[in-house]
Amino acid sequence: MNPTSPFSFALMAIVALSLLGLPVGHAMIGGSILYLFLAGLDMGTAAEQLLNGMYGSFLLLAVPLFILAAEFMNTGSIMDRLLRFCNALVGRFRGGLAQVNVVQSIVFASMSGSALADAAGSGKLMQSLMTRDGKYPPAYAAALTAASSVIGPIMPPSIPLVIYALVSDTSVGYLFLGGVVPALLLGLVQMFLIAFTAKRRNFPVEERVPLREMPRVTWEAFPALMMPVILLGCLYSGITTPTEAAAVAAAYALLVSALLYRSVTLKNVYHSLATSARITVSIGMLIAGAMVFNYVITAENIPKTLSAIMKGYELSPVMFLLLVNVLLLILGCFLEGTTIILVILPVLLPTAIALGIDPVHFGVMAITNIMFGLITPPYGLLLFMMVKIADVPLRDLVREVMPFLGVMFVALMIITYVPSTVLFLPRLLGYQG
Amino acid sequence: MNPSLSSAVAWMRRRAENVVAGMLGIMFVAFIIQIAFRYLFNFPVGWTSELSVIIWLYMVLIGSAFWLKEHEEIRFDLVAGSLGRRGRRTVAMLVAAAIVILYGMSLPATIKYVAFMKVESTSYLKIRLDILYSVYVAFAVAITVRYLWSLWRLLRGDDVETADITKTSSAL
Repeated sequence: MNPTSPFSFALMAIVALSLLGLPVGHAMIGGSILYLFLAGLDMGTAAEQLLNGMYGSFLLLAVPLFILAAEFMNTGSIMDRLLRFCNALVGRFRGGLAQVNVVQSIVFASMSGSALADAAGSGKLMQSLMTRDGKYPPAYAAALTAASSVIGPIMPPSIPLVIYALVSDTSVGYLFLGGVVPALLLGLVQMFLIAFTAKRRNFPVEERVPLREMPRVTWEAFPALMMPVILLGCLYSGITTPTEAAAVAAAYALLVSALLYRSVTLKNVYHSLATSARITVSIGMLIAGAMVFNYVITAENIPKTLSAIMKGYELSPVMFLLLVNVLLLILGCFLEGTTIILVILPVLLPTAIALGIDPVHFGVMAITNIMFGLITPPYGLLLFMMVKIADVPLRDLVREVMPFLGVMFVALMIITYVPSTVLFLPRLLGYQG
Repeated sequence: MNPSLSSAVAWMRRRAENVVAGMLGIMFVAFIIQIAFRYLFNFPVGWTSELSVIIWLYMVLIGSAFWLKEHEEIRFDLVAGSLGRRGRRTVAMLVAAAIVILYGMSLPATIKYVAFMKVESTSYLKIRLDILYSVYVAFAVAITVRYLWSLWRLLRGDDVETADITKTSSAL
């Protein structure tokens, strides 16, 4: 790459402006305008790309609707019932509450599409339960909450997977299905680690919920547990489009909390709308910026050039995936993950496809990989959030999170090198890839 | 900041919140109408998806220009946040100046593009695209004015607002 080309200047401007604290969306728009100016192109192209891109991306409407659905579900009484259900399932084991934390993360993950939302909602609750009466060290509880929240966006519904579907032109439905087994696998390795640690550190056991209580506890949680079933049902039966399925999920969540759990007031609904809108705007602005910058990347033919270079090296798919793993882990330490999905993945995807890697497998594996960035220092948003929620020093939190990262890395290797972990379910339901 | 001006800005922010939250509510209802009409009344409607996609575009641009504070957007605060008071001010001034120049210099071409789009209309609601897309001009002007304003305040010696990193947004 010529260091004095318009593209180099634009890239440097974007990196510099983002590093200096400008919102990344504006940095990408600004850098792209600079590119258009230096290349002598029409600067109105920035507006054109943004407007037509946003106006044409109907699929993205699923993002605010999924956020809204999770927000409606995120009420105290629903969370309590789900927690009682999870406690009845796994509370009886040593380190019971820690196991409950993972199971409730999986359950919540199937209703919400965001890890940060999971940590701020149910994760906050788990943190206070686990540290009450000094049951668990606060840093351990916080590390576990952060690690288990990572499952959120891998289990469907998933906002990152919707965004990947957009940039890769892959089916949201198959991507969602592809996320199920990897999400469960991540939960499983975390539960193994807890079982192992619980013995060594002598974690407490929760009071055993008698078997005859099970039907009642399950029944109380049942309406909330049905939400993922309805969501996936709508998607795979073809009753609705993916975006409409998100609206159905939100409507169902609102109905459940209004009719069954009686926890809805007009004020609550407005609050949910405003909270969801706030997240929507910030994500939307980043996507808008990426739409403008991706025009520049395409105009410069970057993905094809990279693909040709990679071909020159005669990389095997395994080597390429390993490189991607390492690259995404490193980038994840420093960058916000959505930016990686929007800007880096479209550059890598053509090479992956040329090497015969399935785009659904590549997407789920890359998103899982990128999620690790939420709990890797120095820039891990979940770490920052848990430091605040749990009031523990970052250093202690990082130390406690390391073993979790270790086992999750093993899971990531399985997801990366055994494609059927991702592709098994989609193929079962008709995916031809 | 001048107290009456700052309360006017705060008032505008709150109204922008009402508007954007309301738009999300309308989008949600539009989807429900769309599904209900198709299955209950066997009468597919198209205007609802057009309305929703217009709302999506407007939510993002209006919300970003008039509602969200800079630190509520997706951004990277590690480098700037680690600087001292003076360093952060200098950096914030540089960034503001860059944005004012970049958005500012693209403004004429932007207006030209938006005006040119009068030749097209949306398919269902028949809204002329120059009218629909003029929201981007409002957005670009608002962003330019906002950063010009913050540049002026920084030059007068105001400090950079401290951000709460846990409030940083992310889609993850």
